[in-house]
Amino acid sequence: MINKINKTLGAGAIALGLLASTALQAAETVKVGVLHSLSGTMAISETSLRDVLLFTFDEINASGGVLGKKIEPVVVDGASNWPLFAEKAKQLLEQDKTAVTFGCWTSVSRKSVLPVYEKNNGLLFYPVQYEGEELSKNIFYTAEAVGQQATPGVDYLLSELGKKKFYLIGSDYVYPRTTNLVLKEYLASKGIPESAIIEKYTPFGHTDYQQIVAEIKQFGASGDACVVSTLNGDTNVPFFRELANAGIKSEDIPVISFSVSEDEFRGLPTKDLVGHLGAWSYFMSVDSPANTKFKNAFFAWLEKSTVPGIEKKGRVTNSPMVLSYVGVYLWKAAVEKAGTFDVDAVRTALESGVTFDGPGGKATMQKNHHMTKNVYVGETLADGQFKILKSYEGVYGEPFLKGTFGKK
Amino acid sequence: MLRLLVRFSFSLALLLAAALVLRAAPESAAQPTARAQLIAALIAAPVQQVAAIRALVGVEDAAITPALTAWRAGELYLVTLADGKRAPAMLAPDPGVEGQRIALSVDTGAPLLDYATGKPLVFALNQLKPLDTTAPLRRAIRDVLEVAGVSDPNPATRRESIERLGQSRKAEHLPLLKARLVIEKVFAVRSALADAIAFIQLADVDPKIRLAAIGSLAEAHSLAAAARFKEQLAAKPAPPADESAAMVSALKKIEGHWQVVNFFGNLFRGLSAGSVLLLIALGLAITFGLMGVINMAHGELMVVGAYATFVVQKGFVSAFGLGSTGFNFYFIAALPVAFVSAAGVGLLLERSIIQFLYKRPLESLLATWGVSLALQQTFRLVFGPANVQINAPSWLQGSAAISDVLFAYNRLFVFGFAGLVVFGVWLVLNRTPLGLLVRAVMQNRQMASCIGVKTTHVNMLTFGFGSGLAGLAGACLSQLGNVGPSMGQLHIIDAFMVVVSGGVGNILGSVAASLGIGTVDQLLQPVLGAVMGKILVLFAIILFLQWRPGGLFPTRNRSLD
Repeated sequence: MINKINKTLGAGAIALGLLASTALQAAETVKVGVLHSLSGTMAISETSLRDVLLFTFDEINASGGVLGKKIEPVVVDGASNWPLFAEKAKQLLEQDKTAVTFGCWTSVSRKSVLPVYEKNNGLLFYPVQYEGEELSKNIFYTAEAVGQQATPGVDYLLSELGKKKFYLIGSDYVYPRTTNLVLKEYLASKGIPESAIIEKYTPFGHTDYQQIVAEIKQFGASGDACVVSTLNGDTNVPFFRELANAGIKSEDIPVISFSVSEDEFRGLPTKDLVGHLGAWSYFMSVDSPANTKFKNAFFAWLEKSTVPGIEKKGRVTNSPMVLSYVGVYLWKAAVEKAGTFDVDAVRTALESGVTFDGPGGKATMQKNHHMTKNVYVGETLADGQFKILKSYEGVYGEPFLKGTFGKK
Repeated sequence: MLRLLVRFSFSLALLLAAALVLRAAPESAAQPTARAQLIAALIAAPVQQVAAIRALVGVEDAAITPALTAWRAGELYLVTLADGKRAPAMLAPDPGVEGQRIALSVDTGAPLLDYATGKPLVFALNQLKPLDTTAPLRRAIRDVLEVAGVSDPNPATRRESIERLGQSRKAEHLPLLKARLVIEKVFAVRSALADAIAFIQLADVDPKIRLAAIGSLAEAHSLAAAARFKEQLAAKPAPPADESAAMVSALKKIEGHWQVVNFFGNLFRGLSAGSVLLLIALGLAITFGLMGVINMAHGELMVVGAYATFVVQKGFVSAFGLGSTGFNFYFIAALPVAFVSAAGVGLLLERSIIQFLYKRPLESLLATWGVSLALQQTFRLVFGPANVQINAPSWLQGSAAISDVLFAYNRLFVFGFAGLVVFGVWLVLNRTPLGLLVRAVMQNRQMASCIGVKTTHVNMLTFGFGSGLAGLAGACLSQLGNVGPSMGQLHIIDAFMVVVSGGVGNILGSVAASLGIGTVDQLLQPVLGAVMGKILVLFAIILFLQWRPGGLFPTRNRSLD
């Protein structure tokens, strides 16, 4: 009898222990949302961000997690479908109760989830260069604002290359149009007359750049013109091909592109792009111990990764990936500073100016939810990397640039 | 005495030694040869490279131009030899076994030998990192090449170099250009020389020379000069009255010329855009126009052709190596492969699905739409979701200029090829027994069947033929734009637009409609921009179809539908 009681007690104790351990485990993880398109047109770019986020979580978990809790990623697919982004965001916030979300690429997807985050008082980190003119208390923009990519890039063309005529070409949507609006004001403040600026837009998926290239060629005949391109995605292929066919060389008419990073080069004829410029707050070629460590760790993680369908060959790192990585670490630092995962406390901690020494250099969160960070201008090499020509250290992130440049 | 002798012999010895040293001196302390200077510049530290390269301006040596050209193109490498020294090298254009290329010395052009084995050093293309260049460095290289280019054996290079020297507006280049003008024989280069000299002379101290320069630049329709004139006319103080007047009339002349150039340029670009549309639509003109099958998977059949080109390219790269002479022929081989593979997929589609839907156009629309989605997903699975890279063969790169109107070779090719395909289709339909059967079946399927035509066979072959044409279009598009799983979606609307507005069932209508739409689109683009231009074209087509629902050339027959 006693024996029997002992047995049941023992079984009970084991059961209790098991229960306790699962309870303990549940308490030791924190849910973090990943909201990117893993299918559809944007999947090519956004899948890389999911990969780097999963890598970052593993890296943090291996070194003890956040506040002693392991990160448990909840990955959802926005499927390049903007209303779906809002639904998935709602699911992350209301059903999974994630402490923070890292996600979105296109501005429309961000605009689509913004009301969801504001209503539920969630927290979103947005990592891709964007047009500014937005500030939500629930979103932190690790992305490059116009003043951290476009104006430094144009500055380089003005001061280092002595260009005086600007051909602004972009895809027809909100980012290029807003950026060019700011750029035109900026150029005017630098004494470039309106007659020396041409602004053109082409639809998504445009393949016929004959007309535009012919125009650029005549525009650049005087030898002091350049092209500022906000062309998106694969329209760059026909554009640069046509440019090369017309015999336009980067020494004569350089093109600076704001939407082409190392990751995009994987699908571009890099030979046609050699010598043309790019501006980002990180290049894979940044020569620093932090970057070497980041790249090695990421590629080693990729090698061992068991995420289904993950691409392992020919991978590169680029600015949106690094800004995602930096975002996770800034969030971690803020949580540790606040001592809690509570959104309001974490926001206050972030606004107080947490800092992280990332692969692209030091990044500090500002009170206006943007980051002070380095900006690099580089030129394309034949192997699809950038050679850094000039770096601007600690550039302040300002989303509201329109109307701030006084005319000279 | 003895002392004297010793002293004498000592001084004699000194003299002798001095003479020896002097004799040796021309060898050891000589000016470094141009080649040594070049090689020193190539392996110098990056900070010294710009100055070292600039020192080569005007130095004449056969090794300089190829080495610097290769450097600028990212095709120059640093090879570490067995003795630890580094030597700049270029790789032979044609690879040997397993893509291994022989490293060639920049100095002599001979293969670099391995010191240990005495055999030539070989490298794979991706084994070496090309020597970096920066913008200042490339500008220095450009300056050297421009001056060297003035006496280059290739007239095109000469012309380009001379144009750039003119734009630099540096008076120091005048003697070089004038000396070249005396001996230059090629007409185009002579006129470029005259322009460059006039451009530099715009800043001459002698007003007469300035005036003459303005006149000759106006004759040459120089756009760069036009920009300069505008600048000077707006500047304060304004140039003297006679020069101002000359500039104003020169501007008028130059702008007039470029209006004509742009008109013809637009016309060519319109015809070229039209011929792309024509290629896209021609297959559909047969499957939809003649056979009446609403084939939503037509775009994917083009993608099959494009991917076939990609696969052929891959094969040629592994057989001959990228950029080799053999590689340049891949596109010729890709055309029949694209036709056959797309035709094959088309036949399969016809046998498996479409043959049951000839009398039910709406069902065929839905079914083929499903097929198009399935095909897109298949492309994603086989070739990956990202676009694949297609490298154009060298003969499709670049452009020719006739009186300032640019003709890109790939566009010219597509234009000519579209013409050929149209001619081929006409031949097949009107001059072959198969064509006769096709026309009979398309006009009246039941009647043809009654008089013994195997309509199922004819349907199958016709659909296969139309699909093959789509494959050819895909192969051509691969030379102009992107190749990816969803590229077909971009073009399917255009294809239907052309066939419907040309008149269903009429190939001539498709030809006229595509060339017309292309030209109107390109003529509107400079005025309205690409987005508005396209919208306006679509709007015009809608209005046109309201007015003539049958399209440009409606088919009339006696059947009562």
